Amino acid sequence: MTLQEKTLHRYRQLYPNQPLREISARTGIQITRVFRLFNGKIMKVGELEAFESAINAKIAENPSFAKLSSVVEEASTILTNEELAKIAEYVARKVSAKTFGRFYIKPNFESAIIA
Amino acid sequence: MKGLSSLERIILESIGKQVLVFEEIQNQSGLHENVCFNVIQALVIRGLVSTDGARYRISEKLSPLMIEEINGKEAKEAEYLELMEALVAQKDNRIFRLQKVAMDSRDEKIFIAMLSNLESFLADAHKKAQSTVPVKERKVIFWGLGEVHQLMNQIVAGN
Repeated sequence: MTLQEKTLHRYRQLYPNQPLREISARTGIQITRVFRLFNGKIMKVGELEAFESAINAKIAENPSFAKLSSVVEEASTILTNEELAKIAEYVARKVSAKTFGRFYIKPNFESAIIA
Repeated sequence: MKGLSSLERIILESIGKQVLVFEEIQNQSGLHENVCFNVIQALVIRGLVSTDGARYRISEKLSPLMIEEINGKEAKEAEYLELMEALVAQKDNRIFRLQKVAMDSRDEKIFIAMLSNLESFLADAHKKAQSTVPVKERKVIFWGLGEVHQLMNQIVAGN
């Protein structure tokens, strides 16, 4: 997956049902351009930054995430590989359980077409 | 993720050796329709459950590698923790007790004998009611015994 695909995928995970109009308003990118980007057109650096900024804004709504990031950073230097594997497994299970509880969302960019 | 999540295990236990339609699995597992559907689809994709479109059964030809993945020690441990965490966090009708008990060797032997009796009782109870009580209504029970210093050392060592 390219950086652009990863960014758009992450954006869609955080804003699953947002129509193109709202994506355009949030990122400041023209609606037709947003449509093209979700259909594979190569992004400019500024556009990537706009999506990243929207992603970071959403993440910042949850202050525990910053704490988690800092703890994970510390853990990566102190804990053994086995301990890190256990934590990763624990988080993966949490994510898996949560994913099962959500309505099925196609993990591609087709939904972006429905504006 | 290694092994199965508790949700996936519940679906497999609900199906058991039977061939069930979606509604029957949902009734057995007690999972919300949406969750139940997603978990079944995940199991079908992983090849653990097969379907003819309407009925579901556990795949008959599971490779030893797959069985090891499902029932391996690490996967089981993660699953135990998942259930224990849910039980500790349970709000309604919560029964949970953890104590550091001073016990001489005689009382420890008595306690272990009582646990053995408890295990026999639970095995009998399960045998008696397993055909009538759906998976969703079964009780999760666990017990354990450890020495404080050993457990503390283990926590420090990170095992």
